[in-house]
Amino acid sequence: MVHLTDKEKRMLEGDLGEFRGKAMEFIVRYADVLGAEELVEVSRATLFIGAQRYLDCYDPATDYGKIFSEFYLCSEKALDFARFAEGCKTQTCAGACDFAEYRRSHVSKELIDRNWSYLQATKECGVKIVESCTPYYVGWIPIMGEHFVSTESSNVVISNSVFGAMGNSDGVEAAVCAAITGRTPKWGMHVRSGRRATCLVNVECRLETAFDWDLLGFTIGRLMPKHVVPVVAGDFPKPDIDRLKQFASSIAVTSSTELCHIVGVTPEAHTLEMATDGRKPPYEITVSREDCVESFEMICDKGSGPVDYVSIGCPHLSLDELKGVAESLRGKRIRRGGELLVWTDYATKSMSDLNGYTRTIEDSGACVLTGSCPVVMREDCHRHATGMAINGAKQAFNIKNQTGVPVYFGDIRECLNAALLGKWEKRTWKKS
Amino acid sequence: MEKIVIRGRGAIPGIAEGAALVCPDSIAGNSGALGDLDGVIHEKSNPCCGRSIRDAILVIPCAKGSNGFSAHFKCAFLKGVRPAGWVSTKVDGRLGVALASLNLPAVVDFEDADPVKVIETGDWVKIDGTTGIVEISKTE
Repeated sequence: MVHLTDKEKRMLEGDLGEFRGKAMEFIVRYADVLGAEELVEVSRATLFIGAQRYLDCYDPATDYGKIFSEFYLCSEKALDFARFAEGCKTQTCAGACDFAEYRRSHVSKELIDRNWSYLQATKECGVKIVESCTPYYVGWIPIMGEHFVSTESSNVVISNSVFGAMGNSDGVEAAVCAAITGRTPKWGMHVRSGRRATCLVNVECRLETAFDWDLLGFTIGRLMPKHVVPVVAGDFPKPDIDRLKQFASSIAVTSSTELCHIVGVTPEAHTLEMATDGRKPPYEITVSREDCVESFEMICDKGSGPVDYVSIGCPHLSLDELKGVAESLRGKRIRRGGELLVWTDYATKSMSDLNGYTRTIEDSGACVLTGSCPVVMREDCHRHATGMAINGAKQAFNIKNQTGVPVYFGDIRECLNAALLGKWEKRTWKKS
Repeated sequence: MEKIVIRGRGAIPGIAEGAALVCPDSIAGNSGALGDLDGVIHEKSNPCCGRSIRDAILVIPCAKGSNGFSAHFKCAFLKGVRPAGWVSTKVDGRLGVALASLNLPAVVDFEDADPVKVIETGDWVKIDGTTGIVEISKTE
């Protein structure tokens, strides 16, 4: 059984309110499942809440207090909402939909209104409305050694690996309860010894673009053994945050990775020895160009073909990426009858508006949307598509579980070309 | 009928039995991989694609994919589609949340034998989430 401090015991017994008591009950059960011996204070959280499709088990007319109590707190009794932990800076993760664009994103106005009402309810408890899967672009940055919870798998990898912060990929119920109680099990990535690299990944493929890093993450995830902490080594240019974003998102598609050291890049891996604590890693793999091409063929449908649904921004685009999209689309029009959806978060879109990027992008016939993505919004938003082009291995691979139409996968430039031409051009791999 | 006994750590107390559904590469936590309402695995790359988790002893090495893993199982659970119990080679955060949230018998953290290799889909499996004992009756 997990050991609790006096304050945690009081919380569990309901002395700090029933809402917090039920949340602590869940955290204690979760800690016992993991085999954790104690809890740790968390000071940052992002939560995948709102009118998400995983709440489809409820009639939309159901009271949100009942939904919240049953789904997140495992309470049969509908509890009154109460404040989340004061010491934990909490905001929403990827959203159920855009805030307003129901027509252009193909969802109902009812969903947008319901999502907004749910977000208002949790905002009253202290949860800021942000709706981003890339919160580090707009100020949610846990520093080295800071304990966090996040319901976005790529954000967990970025926060552990790039910032040196400490958090597990647990899940929405645990993240909500952690944000309410300010506690999570001290286990896994929250413990220094759990962060030691145990699998050396030798990289022998080209690593220049965000697309290269996207494919590398997907490939490492599917080739390395399970239950390891990888450390990547090789002779490649240092990646920027946009490249690491793609890498972090795709490695968490094909594996349960929460932390990936990169020698000479990430803060706990100045050297290979530092990442492994001077020990020989028990596992070692090599990733070749052929391995990455094989991954590409798993994600992208074969050949060329017509495309009428193009979505870019998985994970959400940075301001720099929006600038690049605007420059690529300046003075051009997307193919009549097709659509180009450009996903970012609300704060970044505001900066894009300010800089004129949104106007330039939308003058092409494209649509800049915030907070969500097609996979999260599910089939309703893309059922009309007859051919898709998607950037982001995570989005392209996972949307295949929701559709039977061809899905093509490429970098942002290839996807923009597909939107302009109404057609996907088969990728030609250069000889390495 | 051949019977095999392996032992892990009991994670959620209780006894459960049922036909095994073995997913050697787990089930993705991403939206659409597990049907929220029908509990059917729709993940196209999964060898168990098209099968339901209903009343099965789910046998997986770990979780994978989105941190939404637990939420999709929870949605199916609340719709009445639930596994009988869980067996996992090693627990991780994503899976741990699902176990705690569904609160169904579960055995995890096997050291001597990997259940994903020992158990085959269709084997009859009885688990004890208190003692960590897993009894496997092999399919003829």
